Amino acid sequence: MRQWWSKIRCAFGRRQDLARELEQEMDAHLEFLIERNLGQGLSLDEARTAAQREFGNRTVVRERVYQSWQFPRFESFLQDIRYALRGIAKAPTLSLVVILTLAIGIGANTAIFSFVNAVLLRPLPYPSADRLTILWSALGYSGRAPFSSFEVFHLRQRSKQFDQIAGIWVTNGALPGDGPAEQVKVAHVTSNFLPLLCPRPALGRFFGPEDDLENAPSTLVLTHGVWARRFGSDTSIIGQSIRYGRHRSTVIGVLPADFRLIFPDDASVPPNVEAFESIPVGPWQPDGPSFLHVIGRLRNGATLAAAQAEMNSAATQINKLGGRASMDNFTVSVFPFQADTVREVRPSLLSLFAGVGLVLLIGCANIANILMARARRRLRETSIRAALGASRSRLARQFLTESLLLGLIGSVAALATGLAAIHAIIATRPPSFANFNHVPLDTRVLSFNFAVALGVSTLFGLAPVFSVRSVDLTRDLRERTHPSGGSRRHWTNALVSAEIALAFVLLISTGLLMQSFINILHTDPGFQPGNVFTFRVSVPGYAPLRLIQQKLAALPGVQSASAISHLPLDDAGNWYDYYYREGASPTEQTSVMADHRSTLPGYFAAIEAPLLEGRDFTDADDLQHQHVAIIDDVLAHQLWPDQSAIGQKINLSDSPSGFYQFQRDWAIVVGVVHHVQYHSLTTIVRPQIYVPYPLAPRPSMSFVLHTSGVKPGLATAARVTIDSVSKDIPITHIEPMQLLVDRARSESRFASLLATLLSLIALVLATSGIYGVLSYSVAQRTTEIGIRMAIGAPRALVLRMILADGFAWILPGLLAGILLSVAVMPLLAHLLYGVRPGNLTNYAVMIVAVLVLSALAAFLPARRAMRIDPLTALRYE
Amino acid sequence: MSTVDYLPEDEKLALLQGTLELLILRSLKLESNHAYGISQFLDRQSGSEFMVDNGSLYPALQRLLQRKWIAGQWKISPNGRRARYYSLTPVGRKELLRATSKWQRFTVAMAKILAPEG
Repeated sequence: MRQWWSKIRCAFGRRQDLARELEQEMDAHLEFLIERNLGQGLSLDEARTAAQREFGNRTVVRERVYQSWQFPRFESFLQDIRYALRGIAKAPTLSLVVILTLAIGIGANTAIFSFVNAVLLRPLPYPSADRLTILWSALGYSGRAPFSSFEVFHLRQRSKQFDQIAGIWVTNGALPGDGPAEQVKVAHVTSNFLPLLCPRPALGRFFGPEDDLENAPSTLVLTHGVWARRFGSDTSIIGQSIRYGRHRSTVIGVLPADFRLIFPDDASVPPNVEAFESIPVGPWQPDGPSFLHVIGRLRNGATLAAAQAEMNSAATQINKLGGRASMDNFTVSVFPFQADTVREVRPSLLSLFAGVGLVLLIGCANIANILMARARRRLRETSIRAALGASRSRLARQFLTESLLLGLIGSVAALATGLAAIHAIIATRPPSFANFNHVPLDTRVLSFNFAVALGVSTLFGLAPVFSVRSVDLTRDLRERTHPSGGSRRHWTNALVSAEIALAFVLLISTGLLMQSFINILHTDPGFQPGNVFTFRVSVPGYAPLRLIQQKLAALPGVQSASAISHLPLDDAGNWYDYYYREGASPTEQTSVMADHRSTLPGYFAAIEAPLLEGRDFTDADDLQHQHVAIIDDVLAHQLWPDQSAIGQKINLSDSPSGFYQFQRDWAIVVGVVHHVQYHSLTTIVRPQIYVPYPLAPRPSMSFVLHTSGVKPGLATAARVTIDSVSKDIPITHIEPMQLLVDRARSESRFASLLATLLSLIALVLATSGIYGVLSYSVAQRTTEIGIRMAIGAPRALVLRMILADGFAWILPGLLAGILLSVAVMPLLAHLLYGVRPGNLTNYAVMIVAVLVLSALAAFLPARRAMRIDPLTALRYE
Repeated sequence: MSTVDYLPEDEKLALLQGTLELLILRSLKLESNHAYGISQFLDRQSGSEFMVDNGSLYPALQRLLQRKWIAGQWKISPNGRRARYYSLTPVGRKELLRATSKWQRFTVAMAKILAPEG
């Protein structure tokens, strides 16, 4: 320790003094020797020479003493860094290429990792998030269905593994409070729901058992956003009675600002809920509708398996209670909440992660090649240093220092690129990332960034070490040109082969994703969004609604106008239930689910959804007449596969007595319409059933106006029209229907866009890799080529030689890429639409693309070789 | 002895260093001395078996100084020259005792093993 301290003192400041002292000491030493020699009778000159000889090399003594003052490792490390910096500055273009490659490669990885971190790794922002589960019921073929109040009640009764089971159901409602009317998402939750996801309210309280009592006054919990926007963050709001829809309701609490609802996409629980009201759970309606999305918190120490087993037996018991018509196929599945919320995003995110990983690997291979080429150019220098006594480990350390330094600079640049990429991705906002608008740059992301930088720079830093592994002093010093040892070239070639293989995998996946996107662009959504203009209104009642419809249809440029409870591809709170035909067996009665839509006459004409059979609704389809329904061809085929559905009786749930007061009812099918893609452009999630508005009144409806082309001022005209009927009708979501379709395509567009970007980068890197290596090899073989041409080799032969040289490792790389792709592509299957992973055209196109680009990259150096003037080449030597 | 040749350079030095430092400490046991004097002493005492190279002697002196086993002081020699005289510190004296006994045990043990049978 003490020695260290004195070394540190030596290292700073005192060195000058020490050096002077040493010189004096050595002078004295020499004087002693000279004096002794003089005493032995030598002349002064002789005495001095002999003394100097005996003393030895003064410089060596000095050097060694200086060394004893230093921290040799540290100082040689500093020396390495100085040397590395000098090396980086001396070749600015090359260093810039390396740093840029790293910035892109590591930056892309950092960006995607931060999403992986935010989405997959970080626990949900809920207390005891690891104990939260989501429960899905299954009846018939639908595996991820919500629960009825009756079922939740009985599950609670029979559960010991869960300490809480809570439910939520989201609908549209009016924004609470006075002021301009606005429509928002409202969640109906069991009284234990909010405490499960939020430790405490920002103000007031959450719902309690008292709010579940039958005649309890209407109470409301507001989100922080609504409270700030609508009530100016007034803390005296608690306990106040405010306007809420057509009634009044008392505000009992305000949620914290950071509270977010994060649910799986198919749960129809969007994150933008603005107000919460409580919904009681009880055994009173055994065949009531299933609408509650249920989460459960495992008791401390309970396992998922135990909970699942318990739910299995609970489901069996509930079957016997004779709830919904027959429940012998009723099952309950328990999933970890976190895993279920990311179920949809996970595969695409991981594929993306793999993609950026490939780009990084390609980049590394390129950098390794560059550094290797440089190391070989420096071979003479290295050899001289080795000859002067630099140990091999010291040389290796120096190469490593240089690449680590490059890696470090690269990783800082990568952090900037990564941040930019994160912002760009969030701005594009693919729907599956909608829940994750906050992507934190936390320590995990930062350490990932630096770990990757460290890892890759070690990786490519080792390459030059390998290439100068066997420094053969005599040979390397004797050879006048750059040595072109065979084994060293193999390394470089193998790296380029690897680059081509990896780039090919990316190309194939890009081809597949782009094909999928094109297919999605061409999917038939079941309607024509082109000239349709939509907006949502709060319904003032059936008669005014019809009046609005007539007035809107009369607007200039509007060809037809109608309304529906849910627009296709919109995120409105969905409603679906079981439907069955007359005479269906009990099991069949709970096997078909369909989306339930309430419409005004003229809807299908307005969106140009083809009516395949029968008729549309008319004014006569009301409560007083025969109850009627229109179904889509998917449902018609499921219920009546062998005959026409027209005139058949269907059992459905409607609510003629008021909003959401559902009951089972029989109706006659009067029309069959083409299936409309309601939830996704690519899959048929559920068939649809349409009911006339009087049978199923809804608090909000979306108007669809079919226009004859773009009509500026239509929104204003619509607003004026509606105001002429009633001044108090909120209008929201004013947008062309095309926007809904584009939004639904954005996921696929996002995937193919990113994949294209990654492949482009990969392709540029791989091509420049081929070019770089071949150019280098041509430069090295200048003499050889000169000799060949001097003794009469035709230019074409030289060209062929260089091309053959390139393709000797381009082809193996391509082959490896094909094999790798065949192995890996099936993993992408879930992201593809209308194209199989093994699509041959895709392979053919990409193989040709790689061959053409490689040929191009190889041709330029080959042409240079062809133009070599034999005389110049030989003289150059 | 051929094995020594295969030792990396660093280790070979270490072997020498330890010994040299002990020898320097021993040379300063009775009186303080300068670098020339120390090298003369070692040459004389070993019967010229040890040829101490200044390239080793000087760094060794520095290391001993850093460990505070010896202290350096500029003085005038009997023949009127200014020279840096090194002397043992109390810690250095203790170290000399410790190292000497260790070295003796080592040589005795070596001798026992290497001594011819009979």
